[in-house]
Amino acid sequence: MKLSRKAKRNMAGYTFILPNLIGVILFTFIPIVYSLIISFTNWDFTKGFGNWNWVGFKNFVDIWSDKWFVDSLKNTIVFAVVVVVFTLIIALVLAVVIDRFCYAKTPIRLALFMPYISNVVAVAIVWVMMYSSWGPFTQMVKKLGVDNPPQWLGDYKWSLPSVIIMTIWGGIGYAVMIYTSAIQGLPRDVYEAAEVDGAGEIRKFFALTVPFLSPTTFFLVVTTLISSFQVFAPIQLMTRGGPGSSSSVLVYYIYQSAFSFYKMGYASAMSWILFILLFIVTMIQWKQQKKWVSY
Amino acid sequence: MKRKLLAMIMAAVMCATMLTGCGQGDDAQKQASVTEDNNGKKSEGTVTLRFWGGVPQESGPQDVVDHFNEAFKDKGIQVEYERYVNDDQGNLKLETSLLAGNDIDVYISYGAYKMLKRAGGGMALDLSEFMEKDGFDYEGMFGSSVTSEYLDGKPYSIATVLTKGTLLLNKDMFDAAGIPIPTEWTFEEFRDVCKKLTHGEGQDKVYGMFWNTQQNVTEYWLYLAKQTLGGDLYYKEGGLETDFDNDVIKKTAELIYNTMNVDGTAPTHVDSVTEKLTQEGMFLSGRSAMTVGNWTIRSVKNTEEYPHDFVTAYAPYPVIEKGERNYTYGGLGDEISINPKSEHIDAAWEFVKWYATEGVTYMAGGGRIGLCNTLDKDILAAAFSEGAEKLIDMDSAKPLIFPVENEKLTLSTITTELPMLEKILAEETEAYLTGAKDLDAAFADAKRRGDDALASAQ
Repeated sequence: MKLSRKAKRNMAGYTFILPNLIGVILFTFIPIVYSLIISFTNWDFTKGFGNWNWVGFKNFVDIWSDKWFVDSLKNTIVFAVVVVVFTLIIALVLAVVIDRFCYAKTPIRLALFMPYISNVVAVAIVWVMMYSSWGPFTQMVKKLGVDNPPQWLGDYKWSLPSVIIMTIWGGIGYAVMIYTSAIQGLPRDVYEAAEVDGAGEIRKFFALTVPFLSPTTFFLVVTTLISSFQVFAPIQLMTRGGPGSSSSVLVYYIYQSAFSFYKMGYASAMSWILFILLFIVTMIQWKQQKKWVSY
Repeated sequence: MKRKLLAMIMAAVMCATMLTGCGQGDDAQKQASVTEDNNGKKSEGTVTLRFWGGVPQESGPQDVVDHFNEAFKDKGIQVEYERYVNDDQGNLKLETSLLAGNDIDVYISYGAYKMLKRAGGGMALDLSEFMEKDGFDYEGMFGSSVTSEYLDGKPYSIATVLTKGTLLLNKDMFDAAGIPIPTEWTFEEFRDVCKKLTHGEGQDKVYGMFWNTQQNVTEYWLYLAKQTLGGDLYYKEGGLETDFDNDVIKKTAELIYNTMNVDGTAPTHVDSVTEKLTQEGMFLSGRSAMTVGNWTIRSVKNTEEYPHDFVTAYAPYPVIEKGERNYTYGGLGDEISINPKSEHIDAAWEFVKWYATEGVTYMAGGGRIGLCNTLDKDILAAAFSEGAEKLIDMDSAKPLIFPVENEKLTLSTITTELPMLEKILAEETEAYLTGAKDLDAAFADAKRRGDDALASAQ
């Protein structure tokens, strides 16, 4: 044993993380590399490993003239942007309101948090019933005097917004939770000083709370955006991308190309485009944060 | 230093247990099956085949396995059934298991398209040698249409059942309205019957027909068109161009549209989707007098879950005009194949042979009608309605569900880009049925997009 002390220490460390490392390499890293390789082929997985034709960048080029891909990409971007913006705004306002003006704060926060920890399948099925022609949404709109209420999940214009509404409702609780814990750590003396200077609630909200919470907002924007780009379950459960391709999103279409059309190479190419897209968006956010996030 | 050494050893042990964890399970399983065999009557050389299928255990396969195990216990072959769910994920699971090794000996595919894909991928054994050796007259016993499922002129499976499509009718409603059970009808006559059977308003409305479009927006109504055009109705002659602008297809789509949106005699597509209607919820609860597809028969027999007391009768799908019935809607199904990686190929062949010519009888109770012509139709009929004799009108069922000599089935022989074409047609049909596009525009678009997809596949 001629190993130096440091090498031995490192060895011990690596041994500890080895079980996990093997798992990650086997089940995450190798598949990732593999998906990159097959994105340049027209692999049909029923033909077995290595049985493929190289097609170069064909998959990456063809994608852009595929109506389903383009529609899904558009829908994904709309979905992500709307979900992030509305979830955060509503959550921030709610968090402040609950913190400042509410009795029984814990039960309210718990109620808001419930959808986040509920099974997405159960939640989606309940929402499907709520959106049906006999459900509360349609009846409410009818009561408001609209003769031709939207058909929600069966409507070309409303299917994506319907899923978005449900997703925002489901995500608010988590954002409120994060905001609440950040709000509780805010310095009280600054607020007292502002009050002495005669600042009202609204002024305090925009001049103090919003900037103080910008690191939290930044964290929530990054995580919510990434998870919105990867939305799959509600689409699969509620609309299956329809009607037409009006609510199809990228991950759903990737799944379809791979497991309905058996186009593994094409689907892998799309996953890599999704990855690059997410990577660029996140990079831009990191660069931009200097301009609006104050720690 | 000692503590560090201990830590390293611990970690190494953890690793080792983790790595061997997977392997051990297999060994343990194998050992268990060996001891089981030893407890059995025939201790040495008993082979246990693993048989995968998509039908729930209790809807036939358990009967099949029990009968086989009883009949073959002295010949040293036993079978265990494992169910996979016949959807995208289930089929993927089946295929990865087939690719990965010899966990499966015998399996059933549902439809020629999937079976041929597997045969092409080396997941099914060429059965021609076995058939020759045993003098198994496949085409003679199962009908010449089985050749449509050959790959390069060779059988890689045995098609075990014949699936014929019919409408299911609520006979009590027909009787009450004084309408005889139809044995042949046109679109016009069908529309009239739908109107006569529709009554009521709101959530109590009883519809004449339920098309089940929320489950699949193209497949079910295309059954009607296939009776005139045959199984390859997606493609024009040669398969290089789609046939979505065909008048028969358009007229059939128009019939669906009319019943849904003009006559109000069937739930609209949007209602079917947004209310997640089901055939059980509509037909078996008496909310529709007819429904498409006779597979619902297994729910008809399940009176525990779907209590009802009306009699279900059978009727053929209507055709546009008299004399346009060129084909019997139906196809071969439940293709049984052997995994080439199986270690017990001879035993597997014994089971496959038995299943196709005898075992499939026990599937009739679940609504699957054996294709082999040596099967006794009376026994099949009895098994088919067993336990629900008062709920199924066998007089109307018999002529429609059993194989008929020399009938032309709607077999599908061209499958170029089929899943994509299905999706395209589904989108355009949806646009038409919801009123987003008119008939001509929707099907012209379907043809243009379909042709593009076919062109890019060349």
